[in-house]
Amino acid sequence: MKRYITKRILMSVLTLLAIIFVLFVLIRIMPGDPFPVERMSAEMILQKREELGLNKPILVQFVDYMSLLLSGSFGNGTSLYNGAPIKPILTACLINSFKIGVLSILFGTFVGLTIGIVAALNRGKFLDGVCTLVSILGVCIPSYVFMIFLQYFFSYKIPFFPYFFDPSNFLSSSIMPMLSLSLFAISTVARFTRNEMVEVMNSDYVKLAEAKGLYGFELIRRHVLRNALIPIVTVIAPLVVSLLTGAMVIEKIYGINGVGKLMVDAIAGQGVDYNYVLALSIVFSALYIGAMLVLDILYGIIDPRVRLTTKEG
Amino acid sequence: MRKIFMTVLLMLTLALTGCGGSDSAGGSGKLSVMLGSNVVSLDSAQATDLASFEVIADCIDGLMQLDSNGKAIPAIAESYDVSADGKTYTFHLRDAKWANGDPVTAEDFVFAWRRHCQMSQEYSYIMGDTVACVKNADAVIKGADPTTLGVSAPDAKTFVVELDAPVSFFPSLMVFPTFYPVNEKFYSSLAEGTYGTSPETFLANGAFTLASYIPGTANIQLKKNDTYWNAAAVSLDGFQYQVVSSSDNALTSFKNGTLNVVSIGGNQVEHVKQDAELAKSLKTFSSGNLNYLSFNQDPKNHHAGALANANLRLAISNAIDRESLVENFVMTGAKATYTAVPVDFAPNAKTGKYFAEDQKQFADVVSFNVSKAQDFLSKAKAELGKDSFDLNLIYSNDGDANTKIVQAIKSQVEENLPGVKVNLQPMPKAEYLSNVTSNSYDLALVGWAPDYNDPMTFLTLWTTSGCEIAEHWSNADYDKIISDCSTGSLAEDYDARWVAMYDAEKILLDNAVIAPLYTDANAVLISPNVEGIDFHVAGITRVLKNAKLK
Amino acid sequence: MYTPQKDDFEFITGRDISVDENFASQGYWKGVAVHFLRNRFAVTGLILVGVIIVFAVFAPIVSSYSYEQIISVTDSSGKELIAKSLSPQIEGSAQNLFSDRTFLFGTDDMGRDLWTRTWQGARVSLIIAFVAIFIDMLIGTSYGLISGFFGGSVDNVLQRLIEIIGSIPTLVIISILAIFMEKGIGLVIASLLITEWIGMSKIARAECLKIKEREYVLASRTLGAGSFHIIFKQILPNTIGPIITQVMFSIPVAIFTEAFLSFVGVGIVLPQCSIGSLIEAGFNNITILPYQILPPICVLAILMLGFNLIGDGFREALAPKLENM
Repeated sequence: MKRYITKRILMSVLTLLAIIFVLFVLIRIMPGDPFPVERMSAEMILQKREELGLNKPILVQFVDYMSLLLSGSFGNGTSLYNGAPIKPILTACLINSFKIGVLSILFGTFVGLTIGIVAALNRGKFLDGVCTLVSILGVCIPSYVFMIFLQYFFSYKIPFFPYFFDPSNFLSSSIMPMLSLSLFAISTVARFTRNEMVEVMNSDYVKLAEAKGLYGFELIRRHVLRNALIPIVTVIAPLVVSLLTGAMVIEKIYGINGVGKLMVDAIAGQGVDYNYVLALSIVFSALYIGAMLVLDILYGIIDPRVRLTTKEG
Repeated sequence: MRKIFMTVLLMLTLALTGCGGSDSAGGSGKLSVMLGSNVVSLDSAQATDLASFEVIADCIDGLMQLDSNGKAIPAIAESYDVSADGKTYTFHLRDAKWANGDPVTAEDFVFAWRRHCQMSQEYSYIMGDTVACVKNADAVIKGADPTTLGVSAPDAKTFVVELDAPVSFFPSLMVFPTFYPVNEKFYSSLAEGTYGTSPETFLANGAFTLASYIPGTANIQLKKNDTYWNAAAVSLDGFQYQVVSSSDNALTSFKNGTLNVVSIGGNQVEHVKQDAELAKSLKTFSSGNLNYLSFNQDPKNHHAGALANANLRLAISNAIDRESLVENFVMTGAKATYTAVPVDFAPNAKTGKYFAEDQKQFADVVSFNVSKAQDFLSKAKAELGKDSFDLNLIYSNDGDANTKIVQAIKSQVEENLPGVKVNLQPMPKAEYLSNVTSNSYDLALVGWAPDYNDPMTFLTLWTTSGCEIAEHWSNADYDKIISDCSTGSLAEDYDARWVAMYDAEKILLDNAVIAPLYTDANAVLISPNVEGIDFHVAGITRVLKNAKLK
Repeated sequence: MYTPQKDDFEFITGRDISVDENFASQGYWKGVAVHFLRNRFAVTGLILVGVIIVFAVFAPIVSSYSYEQIISVTDSSGKELIAKSLSPQIEGSAQNLFSDRTFLFGTDDMGRDLWTRTWQGARVSLIIAFVAIFIDMLIGTSYGLISGFFGGSVDNVLQRLIEIIGSIPTLVIISILAIFMEKGIGLVIASLLITEWIGMSKIARAECLKIKEREYVLASRTLGAGSFHIIFKQILPNTIGPIITQVMFSIPVAIFTEAFLSFVGVGIVLPQCSIGSLIEAGFNNITILPYQILPPICVLAILMLGFNLIGDGFREALAPKLENM
């Protein structure tokens, strides 16, 4: 197991390197200049490109950037926020997105699993119908529309929550974005849990366990959940990343200073801020790869068959 | 399993919310103002957008400021003298202090102006020969020694500026943030690039100072600056900005009482007008922002020269029903515009009449007249030997109004001009900017906000060397008039300059270099208990330092 | 030694094998269809999606307005009046200049008939979702199965590749694609192709890992079946359940992604419309003109409900043992 994990981590680091290179090259060919050009003469633009080192060969630029990264910095911005150092700004945004993202994931997974398990245990009965309905509704409505409804009813009609995100009042102002963000997670997890559980509950080994006299919670925990969880984990891992990074519309509506909003600003603002886009993409990738790594290792722990085959190969 | 989940959930909830305090920021009795977009930079040398300019102006005073009628009155400068030839300005500074107790000196201005030229950011151009004409500014922007810039500080309270040409509106330019001072000692104590990125790295000398700000934040808190020279006149203890991106959110948060001052879109204006109570809070201000269609006339463009044909351009310009555009689709009180300079903008210093008062002046070339447009089109077809034209119209999709305008233009042009097809190409702002400046468009919807209150802020756009939104149109007569008016023979004669600018405008519109569309308006809802907010057409468009809360 | 003669052998096809008439006469897919149609929910889903598709195909054709037509009349003084932001009305029900017209869903703030636009939008969204997800399914499933089945270094390389592709933000991908492609439906489909197959391949891989150790796969291998035979004949049919479920999840994702892309300005090009762009347009006026956003949201919700019900029904029909419980 130790060897497997070490190998897996090494691979992830290599992948991350490859990703940084690919991203670096791709972002350099993105349309749009890294600074607003409305009032700049062609001469001034050339001068700026020179200053930013954009005229150097791309490999040299990449090496420069890597040495910057290794020194623990993301460099300075090119057009956003005075060209200030990126790291503190990025960190502030990440913290905001993370707080809400983590809450939504925990809430979504918890509620989703509960609904899925309840539905599976009551398969075909009334409760199953209710659970299915709830989980389907979650996929039917875009989260930002749900957010707008929440905002309209619970901050405007009944002023219970703040109308805009207020960092100094985190608890009450994070509930609405959390609810709307977790909607998709709830339904995805619930539906997947239910389907997997039903399948596992019909499998021969569970029937055997039942025949041997196991029943109730013990049976579910030891035989059903463990086997049903494998595919569910594959659903949750990408969800984690997408919820942590992808709440752009909600962040915009509710005025949350998060990474999704930062990304849109960096790409669609006055100029394409190469360094912000790059830094954000690298952070997103690192998260994604981290999630995949955890997923694979979890796989090994939950399902010994995976570990065995990987060792052989 | 569930137990573990519950525990983890509980613990995390506690951990995450533990750091949240209980003091609510938007408490009652505090002014909350909407910002339509993010503040991009609080460094006066780097800011490029109205939101940034506004917040900078809340916190930093320049030499001059605008009174409620939009006239430049002294701020940090107590008074100024102009030399007889109009080329040397001497500003006498009053005893003002920075928020850290340092006095505001002439050296702060010298340092800031040199720095702004040296950094050669987007707005450095305003120091140069098309606008302020500060001596040697263009050379410093291109990399010359900054000490050669025509500014000096003979003593701590005297700031002298030398110009290349007399600029009649120079004092009113001093309102613009690019000309604001920066405290050198404070600035050099900061790490590179961190100036203006937090309350600690920003130094105010104006009415307010930052209480809470991080770059990109949607909520900015300002508090009163007690060291401000005119602190007695500031009635607010502080206020907050909230960035709101949707008009609907703006309206609802106003109704809700969350925000006291919001800007709304056309559909919201229609809604508000139907509500008698709400309609009392509605105010409309002309913004001086001209929206026009830019025609790319480069023969190398991919529609090989079709738009280089003046008749085709005239046909399109005359096929657009501007009254219908503003009445049906913009709806914010914007005004249809038939001149290259927006309406309600740039009053003549002597007569007080706006430059574009007479909208019928160029009616023979800019109007809505379908039969005339079709005549132009058939001439164009004959001259080009082509029967159909497929044109790409690019626009930046950061505003709801843009999206509606281009669709209406497409519909009108295609209906009125058989054979002309308009393809809409929406794009994010950054991509749009790079497209208009790099020649990859046929038609572009451009919205240009004036930087200073003079027709020249628009007319310089279309010179051969002018703004980088290049129509690839070049006219020696036009260029000559513009250069005469800015630095040449006409710069000293106010009336002759005024007349010459009309001549330039005529050349421009006879050739249909652009098709003017409309002048924007700000539809604003202001709570009845708020007064004293000034709106201006150029530079700083909203001033809050005189605001009062009843 | 006996040498086999030619007539010792005969073609097996010609012989009359006794077949169990009760079960084997029913083909696999016929059985699936029967099971599917017996499921009330699935049939409801089928009807819902079917109705939307019928409207999406025919309503824009039959409608008296085109989806991009700005409806206007000229009043007595010669002024052109545009039918903008009219709430739903039928002929004669409203007191305005357009009282002789019917706008079942009202008109939008550009004066266009929302009935026509809603169905046109549904049509565009369905085309985008079907094309993108169908191709994604082919790519994703094959990729996932191959990766899962071969394991080892093949799996390693393929999974790293996924990580690289998956880590490029959609906004960056579509911005770069926009250099090479005209903006519009094609560009949206292309960017969905690049991003959406990954989820599908993850599911396929996970299923494959589970199935490939099963006895019947081992048996097949022992009998000398090739890898690709095992993957596509033995494993694929058994992964269809989760993959169909994933497809049903991918369709809303595809439609939502399209909406998001329109929001940032790289999606559908107006005046063409999609469900996403209609929601986007209505969203700006949601509290003052709520009827503008309701039709696209309802169509979207019905589509999603329908696809989900069909997905469930299909899944259970493919694994009929569940029904016996």
